[in-house]
Amino acid sequence: MISIEHVSKSFPGVQALDGVSFSIADGEVHGLVGENGAGKSTLIKILSGIYPDYVGNIRIDGKPSRFTSVHDAQNHGLATIFQELTVIQELSVAENIFLGREPVRLGGILDREAMRRRSTEVLEFLDAPLDPRTSVGKLSVANQQIVEICKALVLDSRIIIMDEPTSSLTEHEVRQLFLLIRRLRDKGITILYVSHKIEEIFEICDSVTVFRDGKHIGTMEKDRTTADEVIRMMVGRSLSTMFPPRTSSKGELLLSVRGLRRSGEFQDIDFDLYGGEIIGFAGLIGAGRTEVARAVFGATKLEAGEMTLYNRHSRPFRHPDQALSQGLAYLSEDRKGEGLMLQLTIRENMSLSILHKISRSLFIQSSKERELVSSFISKFKVKLSSMDQLVESLSGGNQQKIIISKLLLTEARVFIFDEPTRGIDVGAKYEIYKIMNDLTAEGKGIIFISSELPEVLGIADRIFCMREGRILKEFSRQDASPEAVMRVLLGGEAA
Amino acid sequence: MNNRVFNPRATSQVRTLLILAAVNIIIMVALSFLSRTFLTYGNMTAVMMRMSELAMLAIAETIVIISGGFDLSVGATMALSGAVAGTLYVAGISFPVAFTIALAAGVAVGALNAFLVVALRLQPFIVTVATMSMVRSVVYALLKGNVLTEFPEGFLNLGYVYLLKIPVIFLIVAATAVLVIILLRRTIVGRRIFAIGANERTAFISGIHVKRIKFLVYCLAGLICALGGLLFTARIRAIIPDAGLNAPLEVITAVLIGGTLITGGKGSVIGSLLGILAMFLLVNGFNLLGLNPFWEVIILGIILIYVVGQESISRSFGALINRRKSDRPISTS
Amino acid sequence: MMRNNNSQTSIDASVRPTQGSWLRRFFQVREIPILLYIIIMMIVFSISINGFLAVKNFENISRQITTIGIVSVGMTLVILTGGIDLSVGAMLSFAINIGGQVIVQGWPIWIVYPFMLLLGLALGLINGFLVTRIAVPALIITLGTMNIYRGILMVITKGRYITPIPSAYSALGHGFVPFIIFAVILGLFIFITLRTRFGRNLFSIGGAEQSALYSGVPVRRYKMIVYVISGLLSALAGLILIGRSGFIQPQAGTGYELNAIAAVVIGGTSIFGGSGSVLGTFLGSVLMALILAGLTMLAVNPYWIGLITGVLIILAIAVDSLRALRK
Repeated sequence: MISIEHVSKSFPGVQALDGVSFSIADGEVHGLVGENGAGKSTLIKILSGIYPDYVGNIRIDGKPSRFTSVHDAQNHGLATIFQELTVIQELSVAENIFLGREPVRLGGILDREAMRRRSTEVLEFLDAPLDPRTSVGKLSVANQQIVEICKALVLDSRIIIMDEPTSSLTEHEVRQLFLLIRRLRDKGITILYVSHKIEEIFEICDSVTVFRDGKHIGTMEKDRTTADEVIRMMVGRSLSTMFPPRTSSKGELLLSVRGLRRSGEFQDIDFDLYGGEIIGFAGLIGAGRTEVARAVFGATKLEAGEMTLYNRHSRPFRHPDQALSQGLAYLSEDRKGEGLMLQLTIRENMSLSILHKISRSLFIQSSKERELVSSFISKFKVKLSSMDQLVESLSGGNQQKIIISKLLLTEARVFIFDEPTRGIDVGAKYEIYKIMNDLTAEGKGIIFISSELPEVLGIADRIFCMREGRILKEFSRQDASPEAVMRVLLGGEAA
Repeated sequence: MNNRVFNPRATSQVRTLLILAAVNIIIMVALSFLSRTFLTYGNMTAVMMRMSELAMLAIAETIVIISGGFDLSVGATMALSGAVAGTLYVAGISFPVAFTIALAAGVAVGALNAFLVVALRLQPFIVTVATMSMVRSVVYALLKGNVLTEFPEGFLNLGYVYLLKIPVIFLIVAATAVLVIILLRRTIVGRRIFAIGANERTAFISGIHVKRIKFLVYCLAGLICALGGLLFTARIRAIIPDAGLNAPLEVITAVLIGGTLITGGKGSVIGSLLGILAMFLLVNGFNLLGLNPFWEVIILGIILIYVVGQESISRSFGALINRRKSDRPISTS
Repeated sequence: MMRNNNSQTSIDASVRPTQGSWLRRFFQVREIPILLYIIIMMIVFSISINGFLAVKNFENISRQITTIGIVSVGMTLVILTGGIDLSVGAMLSFAINIGGQVIVQGWPIWIVYPFMLLLGLALGLINGFLVTRIAVPALIITLGTMNIYRGILMVITKGRYITPIPSAYSALGHGFVPFIIFAVILGLFIFITLRTRFGRNLFSIGGAEQSALYSGVPVRRYKMIVYVISGLLSALAGLILIGRSGFIQPQAGTGYELNAIAAVVIGGTSIFGGSGSVLGTFLGSVLMALILAGLTMLAVNPYWIGLITGVLIILAIAVDSLRALRK
C-alpha cells in the first residue's frame, strides 16, 4: 500500500504539485487522471526516483521511502513504464528484459540459458508468445511495451506505474493490455494507471484519483462514482476571474479551409475563421491539432484540401516563408525547440522573420531594427535590461511575449497559437490572453490550440473538438460546457 | 528601455577575442626580446605570407561551423584548385580561364558537400571525411603525383608583389575576411546563417529557407578554399599534391579556439584569424628559439580541449572535489 | 484464469518465430549485404584479372589489413557507444616511439612489449577520462589528444627514426603471426560484443544512453573501458607494424583513424552508435583492401582509391540514414 502525504514540488515559475495526499491500496489497479499540467507526470517521476528532492513524504507498506534514483526505486520493487518506451532496439527481447542486471557466468559471459528460461517464464505468464531471441526493434509498439512489462516483472516489482500506456495502441492491443493488467493484479501487483482517457479508467481500474492544477481533488472507488463526476472534477474551476473580459465581433472571412488531409495525421478538416474572433481547437494529445496547424502554415505538406486566405484562393503553403509573407503566422507549441534561438539576443530573435523589412537591399539597418524591437518591448512591457540580452535569460512568459512580438512584426492577420500558455505562470497567462483579445479587437483572427480545456472555454468564441485527426463537433461559446466538450473528446460523440 | 549597448554575449565573445589578442601580443613581445630578427619587416611579412592560405581556410570553416555544419574537406579543396589551374594551364588554356575554372571546381566541391548534407541529410563529419578523400584522390590523379612548376610570369610574381609595402596576397586575405565579416554581421543572409546554426528548427518555422542557405554556405566555403589554394600556389610557386593535408585539423582547432561554438550560432572570423596567428607565432617563435616546434601542437591540443570545455571543466573538477563532502546519501526517511 | 483464445490469432507475424524461413532470416543478418559485395567483387576481379586468386596476392592484401584491422576493432567499440576516437594513429605512434626509446637502451623485448602496451592503455585511459568527465564531444577531445600525443612524441623523439631494431621484434610482423593475432582479437571481440554483459550493454549505451543509465548500466565505466581498449589495440597494432617494417618512425599511424572509421562505417556500424558489429568492421576492411588490391592489379591509377573509398563511405551512411529514417 502506497501512502502519499502532502507531497509538493515546484519548478521555476510553476507549482507542479501542491500538497497532494492520497493512498493506493495493495493489489489494486488505481487510476490517476487529470489534464495536461495537472501534475500526473510529476508524481510519476517522484515515485520513480527521477526527482528525489520534493516536499512531503511517501510511505510504501508503512515504511518511509524516498528514492534517490531510478535504480533505487527498482531495487525497492517499483518499476515504471513510461509513455516513451525505453527499450533498446538492437538488443533481443531477453537482453532488454535483463538490461543492467544480466545474469552472468564466469568472466562476465552472459548466462543466456538462464535469461531465456526466465524470459520465457515471464512471457508465458503474460500469455505473450514472443521469442526471447527476437531483436526488439522488429517488434510492434504493443509488443515492445510487453517487453517493458516483462522487465518490471523480472525485477520482482510489486508496484508498476503505467504512464499513458495506450497512447500508441490499437483497440485490439488495448484489450490485450487490459488482460495483462488483470493478470498482474491477480498476482498481487499494485498498478498505478495514469491516463487522461476516462473510459479506460472506468474499464480497468478499481479506484480513481483526480488531479487538477497540481492539487488532489478526490479519490473514489470506481463503483462509487461516474464518468461525469470525474470529468467535472478534472475541469471544474471558477472560470470568471481567470480571463480578461472579451467582446467579440465577427468581421470579414479571413481563412477558409476545406477537406484538409494528411494521411496518418488528420482528414476532412473544414473550418472558417473570421476577423475579430478566436476559434479554439480542443482535444487530447494526439488528436492532430498541431499537425493541422503545421500543414496550414506550410511546415508540412498537405496531401489534399483547399485553402482560401483573405478571399484570395491560395494553394496550400509549401514553406513557412510563403505563409508569413501572405499574412499567416504560427506560434509553435515547442517554445524552446522551435520558437527561440537561445544563444542569440532578444533583438535577433524578434527580427528573424522580418529581416527584409529592416533592410535596404542586402544590408540590415540596425537603427530600424532597434526601433521596431523596442516598440514591441515597451508595448508588451517585457522586463529586461536591454534588447541585446540573450533570450535564454528571460522567464517563460517573457520569452513567449518576444515570440508573439516576432509574429506581430510580420503584420499577419491570421494567427495560429499552439499551446501559447504552456509552462507559464498564471500572471503571464493573463497577459497573453489580453494580447489575444487586443489582436482580435483590431480585426485579426486567431486559431487557438490548447490542451487546457478551461482556457479554450474561457477565451474562444467557437470551439472545435478534435479526436484522432477529425473534427467531431463545433460548439459556440454559450453551448460549450466542460462536461459536454470532454464527453465529445473522450467518448466520440458525433457532430 | 535601456539602449545602452550591453550585450552579455558580445561581452564574453569580446573577452575571448581580447584574451586571444593579448596572448598573441605577449608572444610577439616575448619573442621580440628573445630574438633580434623577430619584429623585423622581413620576418613579419614572412609570417603573414605563410599564414595566408590557412587563414582563408579558417574563414571558410568559420562560416560553415557557424551555420551548424562541419567541413573537413577544406584542405583537399585548396589542393584541388591549384591542381586544376595548373593542369589546365599546362594543357594550353589561358591563365584567367584556368583560374576561373579552378574557382568553379572549389564551388563544385562545396556543392557536393551541400548536396550530401542537405539533400540526403547525412552527417557533415562523415560526409566531409568522404569528400575529402575523394577530392584528394582527384588531385593526385590530375597531378599524377608530381609537383608542377610551370606558370605564367605574372602569376608567379603575384606572391611577391607588394602594394604599399604589403604583400598582395595578404591584402587578398584581408579583403576576403572583411567581406565575410560584413556578410555575417550586416547582411540578411549572415543573420540567417547564425540563426540556422543556433536552432535550425526555429529558423525554418520563422520562414528561413534552411536548405538554400546551407547550400550557399558550403559553396561559399568551397570558393574561398579554392581561392586560398590559388594564393598558396602563388606563394610557393608550385602545385603540390599534398597541399593542405594537415590543414583540416589545424584550421578547426584555430576556429574553435577563436570562440566559434562547435554547435553553431556563435562565432567570429576575427577570432579564427587570431587563432591561426597564434599558431603561427608559436611555431615561428619556437623556430627562432631553437625549440622543438612540436610543442605547438601539444599546446594547441590542450588549449582546444580547455576552450571548448571550459565551463564543464571547472564544473566537473569542482564537483570532483566536493563529491567527498556530499557523498552522504540522501536519507531514505 | 481463463486463457483468451482470441489472443492467439491476433499476435503479429513478427512475434511468431520464423519457422521454415531460415532463408529469410539469413538475409536479415546485418553482415550479409557486405559479404555479398565482397563475393561479387571477388568474382568480378577474378574474371577480369589473371592471377587475382593467387595466394601471394592474398598474402599482400592481408598483411595490410592486420594493423588497420586491429585498430578498427577498437574503433568499432568506441563508435558503438556513440563516441569516436581520432587519436588512434597518434596513440599507436606514441606507444611504439616512446616505447622504442628503451629498445635503444638495451631493454629486453619481454619488457619492451608490455611497456608499449601499457603506454597505449594509459593514453586510452586519458581519452576515456576526458570524454566521460568533460561535457565536450568525443570528436573534439580526441582531436585535441591526437595533437597532444603526437606533439609529445615528436618532442621526445626529435623526429628521429629508431633503426635498426633487433631482429627479435620482427617475429610479430612476419609469416602467419599477424594473422593469428588479428584472428584472435577479432574472435575475442566478436565474442565479447555478442556474449558478454559488457559487450551487449555497449549497444544500449549507444542506442539509448538514458535508458541504459536508468536501468543500472554503468555507463561511465563502460565508456572509459572502450577508450582504454582502443588505446591498447592501437599499441598492439603498432607492435605488428614495427615487426613488419623493421624500424620505428614518428610518422607511424598517420591516417589510421580515417581508415578505421571508414572500415567501421562501410561495415555497417551506425556512426551514431547503438548498432553494428565487429564482424561487419572486419568485412568492411576486407572490402576496402580487396578493392585496393583489385584496382592495383587492374593498373587503375592508384590515385582513384581515395575516390572509391569516399564513395563507399557515402553509400554506407546513406543506407544507414535511410534505415534510420524509415523507423
